[in-house]
Amino acid sequence: MSDKIICRCEEVLLSEIVEAMKTGAQTEKELKLKTRAGMGICQGRTCRPLLEQIISFYTNKKIPQASNLTFSIPVRPLSLSALAHTGKDYKNEN
Amino acid sequence: MKYDLVVIGAGPAGMSAAIKAASHGATVAIVDENPAAGGKLLGQLYKEPKTGWWIGREVAKSLEEKVKRLGIDYFPENEVWAIFPQWKVLLNHGEELHTDYILLATGAAEKAIPVPGWTIPGVMSIGAAQVLNNFHRVNPGKRIAIIGIDALSLTVANELKLSGAQVIGIYLPPPDDFLDRISNPQQMIAYLSSLADAAPNHFLKFAGKVTQNEFIQKVSAAFYPYRGMKIWGIPLFLRKSILEIEGDKQAEQIKIAKISRDGLPEMESVKTIQVDCVCISGGLYPLSELASAAGCEFAYINELGGHIPLHSQEMETTQTGIFVAGNITGIEGAKIAMAQGELAGTVVSDRLGLLKSGTAIIKKAQARVEKARENALIKFQPDIEKGRELAVQFWDERT
Ligand SMILES: Cc1cc2nc3c(=O)[nH]c(=O)nc-3n(C[C@H](O)[C@H](O)[C@H](O)COP(=O)(O)OP(=O)(O)OC[C@H]3O[C@@H](n4cnc5c(N)ncnc54)[C@H](O)[C@@H]3O)c2cc1C
Repeated sequence: MSDKIICRCEEVLLSEIVEAMKTGAQTEKELKLKTRAGMGICQGRTCRPLLEQIISFYTNKKIPQASNLTFSIPVRPLSLSALAHTGKDYKNEN
Repeated sequence: MKYDLVVIGAGPAGMSAAIKAASHGATVAIVDENPAAGGKLLGQLYKEPKTGWWIGREVAKSLEEKVKRLGIDYFPENEVWAIFPQWKVLLNHGEELHTDYILLATGAAEKAIPVPGWTIPGVMSIGAAQVLNNFHRVNPGKRIAIIGIDALSLTVANELKLSGAQVIGIYLPPPDDFLDRISNPQQMIAYLSSLADAAPNHFLKFAGKVTQNEFIQKVSAAFYPYRGMKIWGIPLFLRKSILEIEGDKQAEQIKIAKISRDGLPEMESVKTIQVDCVCISGGLYPLSELASAAGCEFAYINELGGHIPLHSQEMETTQTGIFVAGNITGIEGAKIAMAQGELAGTVVSDRLGLLKSGTAIIKKAQARVEKARENALIKFQPDIEKGRELAVQFWDERT
């Protein structure tokens, strides 16, 4: 079967994900750190459900109640100029 | 700016909640990233057996008019990129909205089906095709192939055909280890037959009826003809998969193969067919990124479409003051989303002290959600009732 892209933003292939799992990555977070899958500008909005299914299939475990791939702020792509225009410093907010 | 309630998402759930709360006297803001209000309503267009035409665009328009009439502050073309504690809602054009109550009505996103070549221009999700076709009135292509067989893809196939495009076929996804259900002929047929009773339009009903007979279901996975059957002139292939999409700058052709009854492609049967558009229908999942960023607790409920923020019968999440309504709580139809929105809007009004006999009014609103569920015509998820029970159970176990 031919290979295919799983994470569009970072152009990560299924074969790369399976390879990373063979060498130890077992969670979405580990896969993200190892392959960049889910690390693009959409923060995994497209590939996250696929990654969950792939991991569940290859590890033979149920999809966890809480995803260990957290969403970080900004949850949507934000231009630096938009952020600068607010003139605010959000670093201590969370 | 300070509001009693900030609603994120101007789909049927969000607008219904905003209208409810504002009509009780709350000051309300509503934010949506799109230029037009309505969310997924905008693409919806079909005839229902009892109530006639459901024209989502017009439902959206009438909700939007109420929003305007009630003096609700509406921020179109604004993305919410952060929610900070107790509570600040930040918009990408710089506005900062302050409030004690937030409603997340951010709807659902489409699940992808990865196929080699699915990132080539001309390949799009079935929802994108629906909006292009029904809302913008542009055919997404002249010769369209569809991957994925479900209520949405069958409905959109029919809409594409009615508007003059040629739908060359609806196919199974390529067999894939981790996509078992949707690429297996036998399970597909069982799913299709479950649509027949509830189908909102003749097209879906027909698709369901053909496969409903239990005996046929058992044997049809084996004997279902490779050439498919035609439903209103659109070939439905339960034994053929699209293995690959090819094209240089634009989708130009697909490779299809026959699928054996246990779901494996027969490689000697591979054929190439010309297309200029491929639509992918992989189902929907609740879009809950903001709930996650705000620290809400989650549960994974497959029957509801994926991860959902845990919430009470009053639609409040584990974060005080953050409510949810609509598809973020599980994939269901527009009328249920509206009823859930009204419930959330009612509860927030009560918390704000705007209702006299709050408890009774909330009970009524809850009953209306149940009523909407009973009357629901399309089921987007096969075991939605079980999913709802689990959601209640997870919440109760927590508290
Ligand atoms: C492709 C598709 C087709 C469907 N077809 C049907 C159908 O035919 N019949 C039916 O009954 N149901 C259909 N549904 C189900 C549909 O989701 C519900 O009918 C209903 O629209 C859900 O309402 P909602 O208010 O929860 O969400 P939506 O209608 O999805 O509205 C959510 C809104 O929130 C916005 N939003 C999300 N995040 C942000 C953010 N961070 N900042 C700003 N705005 C944001 C979105 O852009 C969207 O406008 C369909 C769903 C999809 C995805």
